[in-house]
Amino acid sequence: MLQCIFLLSDSGEVMLEKQLTGHRVDRSICAWFWEQSVSQPDSFKVLPVIASPTHYLFQIVREGITFLACTQVEMQPLMGIEFLCRVADVLSDYLGGLNEDVIKDNFVIVYELLDEMIDNGFPLTTEPNILRDMIAPPNIVSKMLSVVTGNTSNVSDTLPGATSSCVPWRTTQLKHANNDVYVNLVEELDAIINSDGVLVKCEIFGVVEVNSHLSGIPDLTLSFANPSILNDVQFHPCIRFRPWESEKVLSFVPPDGLFKLMSYRVKKLRNTPIYVKPQMSSESGTCRLSVMVGIRNDPGKAVDSLVVQFQLPHCVSSANLTANHGTVNILADKTCSWSIGRIPKDKAPQMSGTLVLEDGVEQLQVKPTFCVGFKIMGVALSGLKINKLDVKNLPTPAHKGFRAQTEAGQYEVRS
Amino acid sequence: MFTQFGTTAENFSKASTMVFRIGTDAHLYDDPDDVSISPLLDSKFDSEKCEALKRLLALIAQGLDVSNYFPQVVKNVASQSLEVKKLVYLYLLHYAERRPNEALLSINIFQRDLGDQNPLVRAWALRTMAGIRLHVISPLVLVAVRKCSRDPSVYVRKCAANALPKLHDLRLEENATSIIEIIGILLNDNSPGVVGAAAAAFASVCPNNLPLIGRNYKRLCEILPDVEEWGQIILIGILLRYVIARHGLAKESIMASLLPNIFNNENTGSESDTDYLEIKKTYEIGIQEPELVAMVSRSYLAGHDKYLSHLNNSDTISSENTSSRFTSSKNDENVKILLQCTSPLLWSRNSAVVLAAAGVHWIMAPVEEISKIVKPLLFLLRSSDASKYVVLCNIQVFAKVMPSLFGQNIEDFFISSSDAYQVKALKLEILSSIATDASISVIFQEFQDYVRDPDRRFAANTVVAIGLCAKKNPQVAHTCVEGLLALTSPKSINSTSGSMDDEAVVLIQAITSIKDIIKQDPPSHENAIICLIRNLDAIKVPVARAMIVWIAGEYNSVGNIIPKMVPVILRFLARDFPSESIETKYQILNAAVKVLLNSKGEDFHTAKSVLSYVLDLAKFDLNYDIRDRARVLRKLLSCYFSSSGLEEKEDNDEIPLLLAEHIFGETIKASTEMFNNRFYLPGSLSQIVFHAAPGYEPLPEPCSLTESDMVKGLEGPTQTEDNDSDVDSGSLNEEEGSYYSEDSVTASTGTDNESAASESDNNNTDSLINFSDVGKPQEAANGLSEFMSKGALESWLDDNDNPGSSQNVAGIDNNERISSARISIGDISTRIKPKIYTLLDPTYGNGLKVVYKYSSEVSTMSPSLVSVDTIFENCSSDPMTKLFLTHEDYELLDQGSSSESQKDVPDFVPMEKIAILEPGQTIKRVIHVHFHHHLLPMKLILWFNDKKHPVKLRPDIGYFIKPFIMDLDVFSQKESQLPGMFEYTRRCSFTDHLAELASDDKDGDVPSTKDSFLIICESLASKMLSNANLHLVSVNMPVDANLNDASGLCLRFSGEILSNSIPCLVSVTLDGKSFEPLNATVKINCEETVFGLNLLNRIVNFLPEPRLTS
Repeated sequence: MLQCIFLLSDSGEVMLEKQLTGHRVDRSICAWFWEQSVSQPDSFKVLPVIASPTHYLFQIVREGITFLACTQVEMQPLMGIEFLCRVADVLSDYLGGLNEDVIKDNFVIVYELLDEMIDNGFPLTTEPNILRDMIAPPNIVSKMLSVVTGNTSNVSDTLPGATSSCVPWRTTQLKHANNDVYVNLVEELDAIINSDGVLVKCEIFGVVEVNSHLSGIPDLTLSFANPSILNDVQFHPCIRFRPWESEKVLSFVPPDGLFKLMSYRVKKLRNTPIYVKPQMSSESGTCRLSVMVGIRNDPGKAVDSLVVQFQLPHCVSSANLTANHGTVNILADKTCSWSIGRIPKDKAPQMSGTLVLEDGVEQLQVKPTFCVGFKIMGVALSGLKINKLDVKNLPTPAHKGFRAQTEAGQYEVRS
Repeated sequence: MFTQFGTTAENFSKASTMVFRIGTDAHLYDDPDDVSISPLLDSKFDSEKCEALKRLLALIAQGLDVSNYFPQVVKNVASQSLEVKKLVYLYLLHYAERRPNEALLSINIFQRDLGDQNPLVRAWALRTMAGIRLHVISPLVLVAVRKCSRDPSVYVRKCAANALPKLHDLRLEENATSIIEIIGILLNDNSPGVVGAAAAAFASVCPNNLPLIGRNYKRLCEILPDVEEWGQIILIGILLRYVIARHGLAKESIMASLLPNIFNNENTGSESDTDYLEIKKTYEIGIQEPELVAMVSRSYLAGHDKYLSHLNNSDTISSENTSSRFTSSKNDENVKILLQCTSPLLWSRNSAVVLAAAGVHWIMAPVEEISKIVKPLLFLLRSSDASKYVVLCNIQVFAKVMPSLFGQNIEDFFISSSDAYQVKALKLEILSSIATDASISVIFQEFQDYVRDPDRRFAANTVVAIGLCAKKNPQVAHTCVEGLLALTSPKSINSTSGSMDDEAVVLIQAITSIKDIIKQDPPSHENAIICLIRNLDAIKVPVARAMIVWIAGEYNSVGNIIPKMVPVILRFLARDFPSESIETKYQILNAAVKVLLNSKGEDFHTAKSVLSYVLDLAKFDLNYDIRDRARVLRKLLSCYFSSSGLEEKEDNDEIPLLLAEHIFGETIKASTEMFNNRFYLPGSLSQIVFHAAPGYEPLPEPCSLTESDMVKGLEGPTQTEDNDSDVDSGSLNEEEGSYYSEDSVTASTGTDNESAASESDNNNTDSLINFSDVGKPQEAANGLSEFMSKGALESWLDDNDNPGSSQNVAGIDNNERISSARISIGDISTRIKPKIYTLLDPTYGNGLKVVYKYSSEVSTMSPSLVSVDTIFENCSSDPMTKLFLTHEDYELLDQGSSSESQKDVPDFVPMEKIAILEPGQTIKRVIHVHFHHHLLPMKLILWFNDKKHPVKLRPDIGYFIKPFIMDLDVFSQKESQLPGMFEYTRRCSFTDHLAELASDDKDGDVPSTKDSFLIICESLASKMLSNANLHLVSVNMPVDANLNDASGLCLRFSGEILSNSIPCLVSVTLDGKSFEPLNATVKINCEETVFGLNLLNRIVNFLPEPRLTS
């Protein structure tokens, strides 16, 4: 069981400590941790499970904030990590992002949340819907109210009914003036193209996002036109297993608001919508680089926000790169970023130029990897299609909406 | 609230940022104590109280101690405002343990709140009340929990379940039964949320009380998908343990490798054997290395350390594992239902749940169905970076055991540039273990890209992986070597980019991999060797160069071309010998000798001249080691250098020649790979950190839970309900078993005693000081004596030049290099005076005085018992009759003493009755107690004259151990095996020696016979040995110690825990001046964390205590 949770700022300052059990953990452990992670930045900082001389530490880093949990006994490390992730999600949801200032500004809320989320080292209430009912998130209205009236209470004085219902993720007695539910397919395309230009890995990682504002306890059934491609999935706890196993439909009572109903993975795709072709040739201390980008398989909708990024190798002393479309930026950490935006109809975007290598280096032996980012609205590249959404147990008919979009996930082109 | 806006010009900008922070608690965090907090706390307005509490919370968050506000805060607990209440609770929980007396003031309010209408108030009151962890209120908490476990609100019941581990943490035995009983009730709850919390309580309170699960097994399985995700994680583990303990392992699963005879076809005939053959067939589908599988399954079952100890007598293991301990996962209902209910959990969004469910399938599911876990596991690789690493660590084990499992999914392990270095390394390792003939070409294609990765450390890892692949799939070895050779080619080396160090890592790794591949089959890699040798000139990295020279020397007679090349190379190397690096020089010497031994005819003379040339150069090398080596080689090979060569060698040259041939001539065989990995249960912390974390338990013994255990377990709680007394009926107390696993006690006590006795005989009564050299062979060279710290040593000797008296200076060899001196104290047994405790004071006991002391002798009844010498003395004028001691709940105990489940209650062997005790008479009895590591006083009843007197026997943890005789080497070896988590240190002061030193000074007429060091050592040793049953291993002092500075004096003690024979090492290091109070640093190394810490606390408590004056 977790014994203590620390929140560290990006400079290593302990912003918060929450002791969870009687076995108090001294905060000197944070000093040890920080010293270690500063002295071995690349190997230590990213290690999620660390055996310190006195405790086992679990760490996750979110937007510069380190969440550190300690235990001294055997427990599933994933449970600790997953819990910390959940804490980070809830906090960033409550505070509208995570940084040192918002945590310090709202430390009371952070304490109240932590106290509700974990009891004696074991997670207690982690459902965002319920937490919102127990502890009100800070918003402009309540901030103003508190300034004007001096009444600062954000702690609810009644227990949310959901804690005792059979759908613990949903607030009971919800009333919405307009009943509406939106389903959004958000897909990410992961691809690896190796140095020979061969597509070695191409898969879709998709999420079915549902934004529901429905009154009462509605019962929803979502069915797909081609459920057979869904054979690798993760479900929100609200989904009933039986209907899925027998008929491949998603039957559920949704939580209120935006949530991830399901994630899925479609593997071994054959094609990518665009191509990115880097070419490098180096001789006598300079390296010529050219990158071509274009549409390979027209997805039917415009490819937007196209970005190609890569890290210049250490031995490059200067670079001179220009593009016939979009802008090229080279940042201080030697990251080169080419923002193309939307691909023009009339010409194929191309970036070219020379990299000057350091003295004594004749040829470039190491090859950078080009990371590609793009966004296509209105298309789910996996081909998944929603058939229909049935809403039962609702007094008035609900407005339903469907959307889809595809983004680049880990889309990498090796040169 | 508006104080921030009292802006002056200079902090106007600060104020402007404040605008965005209005309404938040920013100012409270930034300047928590800019106003006086006390008056706010006493305010009658809730908002002001809130502000004060928030300020306190901010101070706590910043790590400041604000416990001095405790009394003022506590009284606010009565506030009606829920926010104030919540903040007060947060504060209380942080400090209650430190201010127990004031915390008690809040109890009444909690009691009142527990009856509140609002379930939230009830739940908070219960959480806080249990959370403040005070022994005194534990009965109240227990009542509250019991009440709340029947509360109509699910939330309150859940909090009740969470309160149980808090209560259990106090370690009050009288509560143990009730806690387990409540867990039983909550496990039976209708709400899945409560069941999840109850499972967590079960796992932390009584994980081995599996009969409790047996009652509800089916229902728990069915409810599992509805339980909250966190509860699922725990419940899955519990159900798995139960199934294995009750029904055994599945014979279709990977654990079947433990089945006897699965891998040999000897037996034919009987029905079950054909069954085995069938299993064997399915079994071999995906498994390549049965040895590894057997090892993994065995370590799941027995824990890694136990497995190693059994390694030598594996015959007994296999005969133990009779097929009766196996069940079928296809036919057994209970196994089937578990697998069915955990299957949907593989789709959970919580990675911990997925991994836990996958673990169940891995261990219990039929081999051909394990593939079910592959997709869900690989899906987790898209979750957060942190969980990705943990999941990969587990996949790595699965992939090693069953490479075919992931064979279809190689592209999931392809490296993405955003992966962290550790993740990349893990993926590489997995890729190299799942590579098959079919996939190897694709994988190599990938590896070629990786080698050009800008991260050179990763590129070096790739090279290692290539080497591993080549070893596993010999048919691709040539392709691998070609690829690796390209990396070592002059072209790639000369045009290296960036820092040379990075590139050198890759180069060295490439040559190491080539070397390993060549080792498998040298003749077929002749070209590779030639190629390497050709590149020798271009390769400048010393380690790489040395390796190539070694390869040249080692394989100098392989094939046709190499034997011609090597002498040339040697000549070339010999020319530049002085400019080579040291490691290359060694290898040149070795290679020259190897060539000489292998060559004949014409070559022989060339080789001889080259060698003698090199040896001559080496003789004048700057490095002494090279010079020595040259000298050794010359002597060894003297026959070759004698005037007329090999033919006329004399007889006594035979031996060096043989020796030389043995040293250099033998070809190295490809060694079989050793599995030095440690395996722990999938998903456990131990698997990630590669050692058994405290509290880690392997799977239970299959089928160890019998029908009768189940019945007993079922009866347990009901029985106590019938009794309904607060006594500990001991029917269900297995919870302690989780902390002190009951291993069988094997140590024989008699021999220990004897050896102890004989040792103390040897160390005769007088003290000896001998200086021992740690591990260095005695050097004959006289010059060396200059190097040692002679001055300090002699000053030491001068002080003690009285060999006849109490200090013998013996065994000092001036030629030894001494790093620390070892003092042996002779027999100090006369000075050991165990502490005497009073069991019954004559004023309370009608004139009967009973005292007891812990005896260092091991009990004659059983080695795990502690013997206590009890002395009864009649101080009254009347004789007393029928004296005897019983357990407090004597009658209860008597009935159920045979029941196994009560084995963890402290109990003792009934004492021989004393019929009559005359006035003034003293009788001694030895009672044998089994404390089971309980540290709370044991309640006993003393009967005499047919009346009973309740008495308390205080356990002394110092006597839960027995001396473990070992010498310093063993000690330091064991100590090095118990680092980190198993090592605890505390400091305290030590003053005992002062009195003795003072008394020594006073006797001015007698010449001071004793040295202050010795006095300190003796007083410390006798103090330790008087209070704990340890063996004094050694007393070490630093040689350069000053006369009056005891700093660095180190006493080492060893013992082993009575109940499970786990060694426990104690080192006490002193610091300070001899004639002043000293600082002692006590360090304990012990695998039993809890025990070790308790013992450490005990030692730190008694060391500063003033000396017994008796």
